[in-house]
Amino acid sequence: MGFLESVALYNFLRGPMVWITFIIFIVGSIYRIYTLINLAKKEKVVLPFINIKAAIKSWLHWLIPFASRNWRLKPYFTTFTFLFHTGIVFVPIFLYAHNALWYESWGISWWTLSETVADVWSIFVIIGCLFFIGRRIFDPTVRFVTSYSDFVFVFICLFTFLTGFLAHYQWILPYRAMLNLHIMFGEIMLIAIPLTRLTHMYYFFFTRAWMASQTAIWKIKDW
Amino acid sequence: MAIKLEISEEKEVYRSSYFPEYVRPKIYDPGLDETIKRLTPEKIEKAYQAVFGKETARIKAIVETCIHCGLCAEACQWYLSNDRDPTYAPVAKVKMTAWELMKRKGKVDAGLVYDIARIVFTECNICHRCSLYCPFGLDITFIIGLVRRFCFLLGVVPQRMFDQNQTFMATANQVWMSQSDYIDTLFWREEEGMYELKNLRIPMDKEGVEVVWFPLAAEPKTGPYHIDRIAKIFQVAGVDWTMVTMNDYWDSSNMPMFIRDFFTMQRIVKGLYENAARLRAKKLVLTE
Repeated sequence: MGFLESVALYNFLRGPMVWITFIIFIVGSIYRIYTLINLAKKEKVVLPFINIKAAIKSWLHWLIPFASRNWRLKPYFTTFTFLFHTGIVFVPIFLYAHNALWYESWGISWWTLSETVADVWSIFVIIGCLFFIGRRIFDPTVRFVTSYSDFVFVFICLFTFLTGFLAHYQWILPYRAMLNLHIMFGEIMLIAIPLTRLTHMYYFFFTRAWMASQTAIWKIKDW
Repeated sequence: MAIKLEISEEKEVYRSSYFPEYVRPKIYDPGLDETIKRLTPEKIEKAYQAVFGKETARIKAIVETCIHCGLCAEACQWYLSNDRDPTYAPVAKVKMTAWELMKRKGKVDAGLVYDIARIVFTECNICHRCSLYCPFGLDITFIIGLVRRFCFLLGVVPQRMFDQNQTFMATANQVWMSQSDYIDTLFWREEEGMYELKNLRIPMDKEGVEVVWFPLAAEPKTGPYHIDRIAKIFQVAGVDWTMVTMNDYWDSSNMPMFIRDFFTMQRIVKGLYENAARLRAKKLVLTE
């Protein structure tokens, strides 16, 4: 416990580790997108057939809850997946405490969420994580295709939000220990995005664009 | 002395040694059971390298995006009609075939090739519905098609499908129909149709038409009445149309596509398009 609480760890996580994290996250993401597009250029049938209009339609239909048939077929899943994914992207960006950190370091800040909204949204993200874990354990179809890495992804997100929430209310562990854990999991998550299947964050747009272009040729909808 | 009757309701089952969940009735298909005896690890790895060896954007994007959510299952008719058996879900089929091959880098034994061939050929129709239900729009059937290609290169294909493919290689249609047979059938159907519709014509190799119709080979062979029905529809609708009889490329059921025999598949499609171009037709109409 002493190490977790130590100021040295805090200084490391808030100092050099933040730089390393953001460099890996940004450079890695650009690299992943760049290599995918470069590879696609080598295939004769991918880029010439991309239909931007169909792609935009398809993105919108799958980014709006209940706008596609499969979202309507699975109402619980859709609710949780949208609360989870919007939460995991927007809560960290617009959280007051994170904004304060940006302001402290670089003197910049932007619009923030009120504390209640942020709390409720975080709880939804945590419930979403638990829902995903439950699905992976109890739904036989999903259980059959689940590998350990799938659990690891969900647990990283779960711990990031859980520790953040607990640190804010200073429950269970001493504040600094919880905070250190929170920063650590957050950094692991950001590093994992370009290195693992969490790249679906960007690849969503590419794979959807490709399928939408194909279905536009067949004159059918892919939502 | 009472005779004890033993009636076993249970059929013999096949249980995969790789996936304990994969349990199916036992079948005998020479195309699968005999051909896997010829396989060697080197052959399998060579076929794997030919299909999956080169990194391509489509394979990479699909493998690195799939988050194993199982939402595609709801789309699959195999899954729905087998009491939601997890092994019939599209993602499970990809897991048991392509991912398993990629995980082992093609170093697998013939037993797995049998499982793979059985999954991709007999438990997937390549209908693309799963791609429409996938939140990422992943082209799952493209992967299944690649695995079919892998099996085709090894010659592990259900016998009926392979046999049909050879029919296409030899005659460019599905039913061993010769050109003279085909022309004869069309004349016969024209004659039959004339009793019902005055001046019914089945135009052959007419140039500069609006529509060229390519039937399925089964139509002249086993359902010849389809020909005069379609002819009547075209005639009454006043469409300027024709059928191709100048060479063997008139069957639109491209069966080599289903086992990914690229060479024969290309020959058929090229033949159809060249015939249409030769007649300067504006539209191709195919029987689905």
